[in-house]
Amino acid sequence: MSLGAALVADPMKTEIAEQFAAMASPCEIRVLGVAPEAAHAAIALAIAEVRRIEHKYSRYRADSVISQINAAAGSSHPIAVDSETQQLIEFAAQLFEASDGLFDCTSGVLRRVWDFRSHRSPEQGAIDALLPLVGWQQVQWDGERIALTRQGMELDFGGFGKEYAVDRAAAILASTGIAHALVNLGGDVRVIGSRTDGEPWQIGIRDPRPPGSAPDQCFAKIPVQHGAIATSGDYERFIEVDGKRYCHVLNPRTGWPVSSWRSVSVVGTLCVQAGALSTIAMLKGEGAQAFLDAEGVSYLLCDSRGEVFRTGT
Amino acid sequence: MAATNLTLPLDVNDPSREPRSSAARIGAISLAAFALPGLMITSAQAEAAPEDGVISLKYQTYRDSQPGLDRIRVNAPALHVFAPIAGSWSVEASTVQDNISGASPRWHTSISGASKMEDRRTAADVKLTKYFERASVGMRFAYSDEHDYRSNAVALDGRFSSADNNTTWFAGISTSRDTINPVNGIVENEHKNVSEFMVGVTQAWTKNDLLQFNLTYVRGNGYFNDPYKLVDQRPREKNQTTAMLRWNHFVESNSTTIRSSYRYYSDSFGVRAHTLSGEWVIPVAERFSITPSARYYSQRAASFYFDPVYDPVIGEPYPVGAPKFYSADTRLSSYGGITVGGKIEWRYDKNWSFDVKYERYEQRSSWRLDGGGSPGLAPFRAQFAQIGVSRRF
Repeated sequence: MSLGAALVADPMKTEIAEQFAAMASPCEIRVLGVAPEAAHAAIALAIAEVRRIEHKYSRYRADSVISQINAAAGSSHPIAVDSETQQLIEFAAQLFEASDGLFDCTSGVLRRVWDFRSHRSPEQGAIDALLPLVGWQQVQWDGERIALTRQGMELDFGGFGKEYAVDRAAAILASTGIAHALVNLGGDVRVIGSRTDGEPWQIGIRDPRPPGSAPDQCFAKIPVQHGAIATSGDYERFIEVDGKRYCHVLNPRTGWPVSSWRSVSVVGTLCVQAGALSTIAMLKGEGAQAFLDAEGVSYLLCDSRGEVFRTGT
Repeated sequence: MAATNLTLPLDVNDPSREPRSSAARIGAISLAAFALPGLMITSAQAEAAPEDGVISLKYQTYRDSQPGLDRIRVNAPALHVFAPIAGSWSVEASTVQDNISGASPRWHTSISGASKMEDRRTAADVKLTKYFERASVGMRFAYSDEHDYRSNAVALDGRFSSADNNTTWFAGISTSRDTINPVNGIVENEHKNVSEFMVGVTQAWTKNDLLQFNLTYVRGNGYFNDPYKLVDQRPREKNQTTAMLRWNHFVESNSTTIRSSYRYYSDSFGVRAHTLSGEWVIPVAERFSITPSARYYSQRAASFYFDPVYDPVIGEPYPVGAPKFYSADTRLSSYGGITVGGKIEWRYDKNWSFDVKYERYEQRSSWRLDGGGSPGLAPFRAQFAQIGVSRRF
């Protein structure tokens, strides 16, 4: 058949995709089923929200809320925070509780000794020197004001900040009336509705050990009709010590990166939920499956030998 | 590790869809996440299936538009019915990958600026669009190749929206060049060139009414014969005009959606056709929806259509005299056709849904608008049934 007719497509079948960089990651927002102008206006709002969150909670910006809290560490003067920050700190506190202390938003300080570009592990002594600065139990938090009691302590929203931005961006898109969209910030994905043809979004899971010829190869594909998916893994930021690969997820108790799973993908309702669960599952090691089962989410795990485990296995 | 497509038995705990009793299965971390403000999408449209009335109201039913002009011209009534069904039942969709999850993925389809790749599902189909504040201009190149048919096409379109976004104007032109090499070798390297011009406007009339009007003019020259028909000689020029009006109405009082459309078609072969169609999406219960639909089609025969009379001596029907053009293709005859059908969708649980679709098509000469259809044609009937199963995650 002639493609002539098909070429002047129905405006409602148009798919708009915009790529941008935020939070040190490649990002993409896709919108289906609305006029391109409306899609672009909504995407602009969503990107603005991502940038707002990035600026507000970046460790690298001196004027961020996080930097203010960290700058006051050890001074015993609690910092009063706004309600959004309160909610996020409260979430971090709950993650600490629910993970038996494995998810600790003060463990970021360990990155001072773990240089994931060097492929060398630090001296044990250097790690030991930092461990006293790690520990949510050393944070004074009354629900409105926060104080890091030791000088040198650092608060870090790295474990859920990007995921929070994904969910906020999706909520912004939905609030403009968009019913079919996908937000992907560096591999943390949230979808709104299905595709316009009713098919689920097909989310590929990057192979943690791809062949050199295809570095972006996927080893699995998860159809997502609604909700979110987040993947933690030892993909790019890792250290190999004695042939064993350690990912950038650090155990707050030992100060060492975890190594049980090459990748953990979790499908949930919210990206913050999926992201936190995938990180905690990495930290749980052997207990990851039981933990995720108890949380009632779907998952796809790839262990250190390359064996794949999924929900119900 | 082998690249496999694992399908997960996904079981997403979505509090907005779940009954209370299952809340026990939601872990503490999930509950903590749900407590974060401003992240849940609570509007009905985001949760509803795309075929549900609420969504379909806002976005056009693309099913109706799917039988493109060319398709109708080449494969009139039967495919007129089937094509939309085939279109919405897209098996290939499952092999397509839309996005990637993984730590820090690298982009391999990155395009700078406001350009974009559209339709990743077809490799040789690229569209570049430049966006302005309330307007856009797009250019598309397409290539398709079948064993007996090759097509190259290029298209340009532009859109403009009013300040309040309630009105969108659309204009597009496209041109294609097809090469035809039928397997029976009746012709070799035949060509067909088609140019298409389209203007349209979509108006959100009220919050519950969406109107769309499209006008299309198609100019073609080249090989229009059916290479697989023995007695078939058609003009090498064919111009078509189509006007289409769509109206989607959402009935707030009972949450149903009525989709209706009228289409007028005229071409230089002498064919004139009217199509009136409607469907009514009725959500019966939380998990059920019923969509009855009906369509009426009426067509005047092409000027060179001849009534096929099988001769006991010569057999195959031949046109009387020695006309320049002739065809006994029933799709070029005068007739009327009625399609009635319906679809029932049942969402068994949050993962599984089933739909059953049945359509019955009947075509008769006497059903033409003025009753004067082509003689000698047996009524044509077709039935179509479809059972669909889909999983939701």
